Amino acid sequence: MNVEFQINNSVSPSARFVSWVPSPCRIRMTNPSGATTPTVTIRITSTSAATAGAVVFRKGTTGLFSTSLSLSVPTNGTSVPFFIAGKFGRPSVNNGDVRIDARAGTTLVGSVKIMVRVRKNANNLTNGERDRLVAAFAQLNNQGAGRFADFRNMHTSVSSPQAHGAPGFLPWHRAYLLDLERELQLIDPSVALPYWRFDQPAPKIFTLEFFGVSDALGTVQFSPTNPLQFWRTDGVQGINRRPFFNTSAAPPGLRTEAQTFALGTQYPAFRTMEGNPHGSAHTSFGGSISSISSAARDPLFFLLHCNVDRLWAKWQRQNGRFNPALAASYDSNPGNPIGHNLPDTMWPWNGIIGPPRPPTAPGGAMASSPCVSAPGPQPRVRDSLDYQGSVNAVSRMGFDYDDVPFA
Amino acid sequence: MSKKSKASKSSKSARKPKGAKKGAAKRPSGRLMSVATNARKAINERVAAIAEAPLAVCESDENLQSMLNVLRSEEEPIEVRLAALQAIQAASFSVVTFESCRSEYIATLRQVATDPDMELRQRVLGILAREKDGFAQRKLLEGLQNPEKALVPPEKALQLLSNDVHAEAYAAAREIVNNPPSDTARREALRLLAADATAAPMFEKLLRDKDEQAEIRQISASALQALKPEKLQEHARAILLDTSEYDDIQATSLTAITQFGDEQAVAEDKTLMRRIDNMKDEASTKIKQSARRFLTKYGQ
Amino acid sequence: MQNVAMAGARSETEFASLVDALAADPDRREQLTELLREDHPVYDQRGAATTVRMRGWVLLALARAGVSDAALIFVLEELDAGVDAYLVAAAARALRSYPSPNAALAPFAMRALTNIRYHDEPVSFEGYGEYADSSSYTTPVRELLVTLAWLGPHARGVLHEVEALRAQHGGLPKKLLVEVDRAVEAIRGGQADEPDADCCTLPNGLSSTFSWALGSRRGSESIESTVFEDHGGASVTFREFFRGHPSIVVFFYTRCDNPLKCSLTVTKLARLQKLLEAQGLDDQIYTAAITYDPAFDLPARIHAYGQNRGVRMDDRHRMLRATDGVNALRSHFKLGVNFIESLVNRHRIEAYILDAEGRIAASFERIQWDEQQLVDRAIEVLNETSNEKSGGPVPEVSPRPVDAPARGKTASTMLGTLASVGVAFFPKCPICWAGYLSMFGVAGLERIPYYPWLQPLLFAVMLINLASVWLRGRSTGRMSGFYLVSAGAFAIVVSKLGLGLESVAIWGIALTLAGSLLSALNAKGRRLTARGGPA
Repeated sequence: MNVEFQINNSVSPSARFVSWVPSPCRIRMTNPSGATTPTVTIRITSTSAATAGAVVFRKGTTGLFSTSLSLSVPTNGTSVPFFIAGKFGRPSVNNGDVRIDARAGTTLVGSVKIMVRVRKNANNLTNGERDRLVAAFAQLNNQGAGRFADFRNMHTSVSSPQAHGAPGFLPWHRAYLLDLERELQLIDPSVALPYWRFDQPAPKIFTLEFFGVSDALGTVQFSPTNPLQFWRTDGVQGINRRPFFNTSAAPPGLRTEAQTFALGTQYPAFRTMEGNPHGSAHTSFGGSISSISSAARDPLFFLLHCNVDRLWAKWQRQNGRFNPALAASYDSNPGNPIGHNLPDTMWPWNGIIGPPRPPTAPGGAMASSPCVSAPGPQPRVRDSLDYQGSVNAVSRMGFDYDDVPFA
Repeated sequence: MSKKSKASKSSKSARKPKGAKKGAAKRPSGRLMSVATNARKAINERVAAIAEAPLAVCESDENLQSMLNVLRSEEEPIEVRLAALQAIQAASFSVVTFESCRSEYIATLRQVATDPDMELRQRVLGILAREKDGFAQRKLLEGLQNPEKALVPPEKALQLLSNDVHAEAYAAAREIVNNPPSDTARREALRLLAADATAAPMFEKLLRDKDEQAEIRQISASALQALKPEKLQEHARAILLDTSEYDDIQATSLTAITQFGDEQAVAEDKTLMRRIDNMKDEASTKIKQSARRFLTKYGQ
Repeated sequence: MQNVAMAGARSETEFASLVDALAADPDRREQLTELLREDHPVYDQRGAATTVRMRGWVLLALARAGVSDAALIFVLEELDAGVDAYLVAAAARALRSYPSPNAALAPFAMRALTNIRYHDEPVSFEGYGEYADSSSYTTPVRELLVTLAWLGPHARGVLHEVEALRAQHGGLPKKLLVEVDRAVEAIRGGQADEPDADCCTLPNGLSSTFSWALGSRRGSESIESTVFEDHGGASVTFREFFRGHPSIVVFFYTRCDNPLKCSLTVTKLARLQKLLEAQGLDDQIYTAAITYDPAFDLPARIHAYGQNRGVRMDDRHRMLRATDGVNALRSHFKLGVNFIESLVNRHRIEAYILDAEGRIAASFERIQWDEQQLVDRAIEVLNETSNEKSGGPVPEVSPRPVDAPARGKTASTMLGTLASVGVAFFPKCPICWAGYLSMFGVAGLERIPYYPWLQPLLFAVMLINLASVWLRGRSTGRMSGFYLVSAGAFAIVVSKLGLGLESVAIWGIALTLAGSLLSALNAKGRRLTARGGPA
């Protein structure tokens, strides 16, 4: 007797990634030999090391999660749905470090290895996670001739009005990070974009093996084993980043997480975080990251923005702001520029060029995911809000933060 | 430098201003601005007020003028001026909102670019250089050609000019490579020339020169990978097979082959495979680590 | 070009003095235009920022001396695709010295405003090479708003765009709202000289954006042996790739930092390839994007550049870098580019159609080209090739304004005549197009597949054409054109009534053409037109 697992309703190994949000899964009998009844009770459990990921199960879209699940699986091959979610606080460290087993009685009839893949605090990554991330970044950049050039070209002074200084700032950057993360995952599916928690000390990010150590001039040095030593953007070699703070401490003058949440429970108030902490985090350095036209040349930019997005996600959860139909979830104003209204499609994924959009649309449509269908190839502003699918399950975008549980 | 540490000290103490604890965002920006511009207030209090709400700068022309005045004024403490610069620059990220302030900000930056304070000059020229500002480029080039006119050290000028491949800096950079005022200036000149298509032979030579500094050889490897990738792969292989080579450059070479090598050619290169297989056990820790990564990639 | 003796070594100060002298001398002012050509030796080995200062000073000289028809294209080019604040501001100011405001100029000013509004920077026009560093400065946005006010009612076509920007949060700088309101007021108020006619005409200065080589195509022998390396690293000579079929060629380089030039050009090439594919012509018309910067643009780099912009790359459609014969290539195409060392300091937008012999059949310069327009022209060249192969007649070439200095005098004279005919025959706006469609469509309906909706549609657009000519007649006070077009329309209708009078359709066409010609010539004495107008 054998069963087959379909993680995220797919048999593809590339779909074997879950986060805190329950992933729809299925199990079906592929070999009923030995079965004597039309259905067989299959017990699903998970196994993993103490430092690895952990998952929980439930049968339907509601109800409590448990560490095991019993399902009646027909012998005729009809699949049975169930849900797997990462156990909050237990993300994976390596790809496939959680094994899901299916047993009929005591007999193992099927198993699959999956990963609880979530965005983590970059300062807490293991060496392996760190190395995989920098290798994926370096490959995406490929000496300036890689796909990273699109991401650099998406965030320039020409395109910046699509994404800054108006309410679409947070939704646009959420889509931008997701697009980049999915490209990184095409190189190494075990990678999730980590965040730089800029209101806390993060000394492990600013090391030779990770995002580099700046010398007094602001030229970033890397270990000879770090592939980021080959980083190149705009035809220019290397990274310039000069911290105006001691990198073993947090930059001064930035709003803390609590202060950021205290901006208000309505989106128009909360989005002023674009100035402080967002803008202030950028300008806690000199070098590329401190100017909007060049910020995306520095890979640290993406970790900075990942934290900005995490703050939004956490604020959304605290205040119940996932639903675009709720006025407080967004700043809908008739004077908003194009690309900053909930129903607007977002550049460049919409492919629209020419005024009032930028002259080109680098990168094409949003990268797809083998795990989820949202936000689709041409996301609208509204599609960015319900990233966990808490309002509408099909809206889940397939990422989570290590400290923001499923709503 | 002393000014810098002083600034950071005062900023540190300003990290958790009293007002911030109580819900900083609700504090009227007018009050923030009045603290920020009040010369009788303590420096750290002013710095904290400036840092608290950068977007307040663009709320009114009055606020903008106040901040620009602080930035321009040589009478103001440098910590306060640097905080003003940092806050306006942070506000500049909100492009749509900042548009009304932009032209005046740029004009002020050009004014302040020649300020007596080196730290301020350096930061301001950095902002302008990243905007590919012709004024800043001209000042930086003038300084390289005539050190008496230099606003920043040559290594800084080269680093800032490297923001724009179209800045006419190659000739000055070559001159510095040939006659370097310091090791750092030479290093930055080489980084700048890594975008010069004609510089590949120079980088080949530097890469293979065992007497050269490790950092320069690392830069040369990276430059060569961009300018003549097939040459770097060739040299990287030779460096790995040369048992008398230094660990650092071997690690860089191995990283280059792992990341950018022609996978089929590398997989078929038995000599290289054997050599790297030995490295995983015999070499120094950093090379062992790279060797394992390489062998994992090639299924060894 | 050689009229202005300038050596590359001349200092910027000397250059500025020369420009001032030319501007002050009415007999030599035309030479300022030559100084705006990118390939002028004066820009050789200058940095990009220096080139900006020099070109900006020439534009400012034109602002004082007056912009001629020949210089207009350089001014509009800067408004169309410029991103440098100083040059855009200088171009906006220069445009105001063009002898007469014209509705065709308004979209350029509007486009520049849209492109530059979030990069408004202080600029100083006080002295050569000055950068604004005080509160006394102007900005490109300010200059463009003044230019829109100068255009006045001629800018009505873009009024809604200006008003939309004004209404939008952050649409235009708050501190320039007085200038915005002044521009809006000027556009709304007063009367344009010929607002109706304006919609269909472009000034003479735009004639050089498109060149159509007629019977005088220069041979490609000089570059036949030029060797290219393509996106995949394969070597191919000019002769091997460009002979035997028409080709569309664009130029670019990967380090170009103006997104309105190379990045957009290559993006548009990808769209153009899709148009060819849609028409099943992708194996008959080849495409190539050739880099200006072959030393840096290695195969992997141009491949990535093309791929990131959706370009199809295979044996017939290639991204290329010249590995040998670069100078011959530059000279053959008369490329609008200059360099500092091997790096581009400035280039124009340029695209070419090569015939099956690899000769330049058409060129598009400076102003953004339209993908469909390029494909249409390439198809004409393809048809011409097919006719030559089959021994048939060479098809009639659509009359287009021509870059006369680049071609022979004979061609220039002939094209001048054709251009006049083009005034009448070529559609110049949606309404005009409807008119032509109606005339040819109704007359030749039997020769195209049956579509029940087509005949009523064509009759309807014929009526629109009549109304258009009537309106133009009213504005000029000369109705003769309208009477002829009416007679023509009547004849075409009669020919369709089944009375055995089909041959009358020919008279109908002739009368309509004559009437249209007369109407257009009445609207303005001498006027060259371009079909698409500003891109």
